[in-house]
Amino acid sequence: MVKFIAEYQVLIFALVKILIMLGFFLNLAPVLVFVERRQAALIQDRVGPNRAVIKLPGMILKGALATPALLAGLAIAALCFKVFPANPPETGVGRGFWMAELATLVLWSHALVLAGYVRVSEDAANPLEVALRDMRDPRWIFYTGGFLHLALAVLYGASSPANEAEVSKAFALGGPAALTLVLLMVGGYLGYRIPSGTVELRAAGLLHSIADALKFAFKEDFVPPKADKLLHSLAPLISLFPALVTYAIIPFGDSLCFGTTGGVLDVTKLADTASKIGACAEGQQAVSLQIADLNVGILYLFAMAGTGIIGAALAGWSSDNKWSLLGGLRAASQMVSYEVAMGLSLAGAFMIYGTPRLGEMVRWQAENTWGIFVQPLAFFLFFAAAIAEQKRTPFDAPEGESEIIAGYFVEYSSFKFAMFYTGEYIELVTSSALLVTIFLGGWTMPFLNRDAVHVAFGDTVLLHAQMSHLTATILGVGIFFGKVLSLSFFQIFIRWTLPRFRYDQIMAFGWKFMLPAALGNIVLTGLLVLGAGSAGPSVVSGLSLLADASRFVVIGASAFIAVKFARLLLSPVERERFTQSNVAARVGRIGRTPETPMQA
Amino acid sequence: MGNGIIGKPIPRPSHDAKMQSYLPSIVAGIGVTVKHFFKNTKEIAFGQRNDPVLDAFEDGVTTISYPEQKRPYPERFRGVHRLTLREDGSPRCVACLCCSTACPAQCIHIVAGEYADADKKGWEKYPVSFVIDELRCIFCGYCVEACPCDAIRMDTGQHAVPYDSRDQFIYERGTLMSFSDPTGRQLTENPKDDPGLGHTPDRLKHH
Repeated sequence: MVKFIAEYQVLIFALVKILIMLGFFLNLAPVLVFVERRQAALIQDRVGPNRAVIKLPGMILKGALATPALLAGLAIAALCFKVFPANPPETGVGRGFWMAELATLVLWSHALVLAGYVRVSEDAANPLEVALRDMRDPRWIFYTGGFLHLALAVLYGASSPANEAEVSKAFALGGPAALTLVLLMVGGYLGYRIPSGTVELRAAGLLHSIADALKFAFKEDFVPPKADKLLHSLAPLISLFPALVTYAIIPFGDSLCFGTTGGVLDVTKLADTASKIGACAEGQQAVSLQIADLNVGILYLFAMAGTGIIGAALAGWSSDNKWSLLGGLRAASQMVSYEVAMGLSLAGAFMIYGTPRLGEMVRWQAENTWGIFVQPLAFFLFFAAAIAEQKRTPFDAPEGESEIIAGYFVEYSSFKFAMFYTGEYIELVTSSALLVTIFLGGWTMPFLNRDAVHVAFGDTVLLHAQMSHLTATILGVGIFFGKVLSLSFFQIFIRWTLPRFRYDQIMAFGWKFMLPAALGNIVLTGLLVLGAGSAGPSVVSGLSLLADASRFVVIGASAFIAVKFARLLLSPVERERFTQSNVAARVGRIGRTPETPMQA
Repeated sequence: MGNGIIGKPIPRPSHDAKMQSYLPSIVAGIGVTVKHFFKNTKEIAFGQRNDPVLDAFEDGVTTISYPEQKRPYPERFRGVHRLTLREDGSPRCVACLCCSTACPAQCIHIVAGEYADADKKGWEKYPVSFVIDELRCIFCGYCVEACPCDAIRMDTGQHAVPYDSRDQFIYERGTLMSFSDPTGRQLTENPKDDPGLGHTPDRLKHH
């Protein structure tokens, strides 16, 4: 077995990476469909997709939620106090810090969930739950949690040589102990509190999109009698193809470093630390978290995305339908036009990064600053062009209910339609991933180094917390997927906010604004790059200080958005009641508005 | 006088950079979308959705998601007709044809019949067939006003539901007798108008 893995490890690594990316992209598609349909429901005042349900016995849910927590708690206790004891304390201090932070996170997030549950269900079983129910604003749990996180970081960062031994010991022993205790507590409480009867699992309606996807497989596959049978079947394949191959070159994490046995990479010898971004120590081998690190880089992506045009045009032509032909023509001309602006808007970024490879672009951003700060105009141009490429609102001329029905896929049903649909959403995720990689720092976050969280301005170090290689890499992958998820949601929100352009406006915008702006951006960037290259050391150090400042801007903005978002999500639901109208008076007597159980 | 037409001066919208770039407005608009999406989805998922009639309008989307949520009709809403019953389950209707005469839309058709044991009961006529075409009905309520026995009422609190075909809108006697008022009552509220009872006014006794 070990020999087999050693022999085919390149292949196995590639397959695992493909599975990770495919899993993420294919799972995100139904999530985005759900978000899209919730928005439609909001605008048309329906409850929206929420009907698909799995009825679970409470015992299974109890086991599924409580067992992992309990097991993890016990495992941490066993590992930290028996297998890897923190003795001397210096070896376990970074580990202890992260465990203390994790324990805090688990504690306040579960307190919030419990508070929400008690306030809605109104059955408080013990004094703790009564207190949670009666507290005026549950947002204080979130604020307290955030304060605890900060306090821990300050405590950790403020360890001076005088008290370093005590602080190290406190973290090395206290961290694992706190995490174990919290996990056991939470696991036990989940097991005790989840009701034992049947629990309806709706996942907020997420199951509905999956049920719909299944339904597509059983629908009638209709081909118009005078359609070109071959091309009609080929078109959905051609338009799904680029969506499924483009993410191959997108890096989703920093490279993993492994030790070697006899010059061959050994999977069991994962490095403990790796300090330099994108590189490994002497005698180690790197596995880059990118399916294919092509030297043409992003050009591959443009080449593949370009074939999507053929799918849309073919679908429009082969359906033998005037509407779909018009839709296909519109789609083709729009995609060709915006392909130009899309490619040219990135030329400035190539000049600055000095490479078309996406992995190296991310590394440049990790060392300097995020691409959005050096190429702000290009970011907006590329974003707009990417939305136009996906034919989404406000650039959704290829479909239009009142003009050309559904455009080029009017005559498609069953799984062929589902293929167009899936392709569209995967393209959305791919474009988000691309934006994240080129402009928003990819898998990196400011102050998150390869081996530690390192907060510094110039030469002043504010906080330095060590991390293991594996933790840092997993964190990076999580950050990348989190960024892509947020940006995909953002694209959906754009669709449900902006009105659509007229077809001629789309063309005018593409050729008369986007293209000149992209060209101007190239000229300007070229001048600036030349200027910075020939400038003195004072300019360079000033720029580097600006880059440091931009990190604080990013962290500050992220924290601001996170707090705003939490405030919105956690806002109390209790509302003021009023009985002014005749109907309201009657409803007041009944108790509430007649409402069927929340089935939809 | 003689100055021609003086229009009302309306300030032109300013075309400054902030407005022409569209970006600030787009961001603000997306903010509104985000707010409604997350708030509303959270409330649906956790069953915290506000009551559109009773809760104040400031928070969230307060429109009514019909048919999942229904605004109750006012108490005196004229809904689908029902035929009230006696204690023994027979219709109170005595087939006097007052309602079908009063009906301006001529949507009520009654075929009268006679009980064999009319002497014992105290009332002799009953509707063999009682048909209302709910598509023709204009819901004016004249039939209810015309009825001397309180046998036809429109207090079901329901509107006629949409059907697939027209003949499903023709309600027969059995259908009309199966309806009840919103509290589930199939009898009448005013038993004093029953011709068979002792306290019935004389004018009805010899009906």
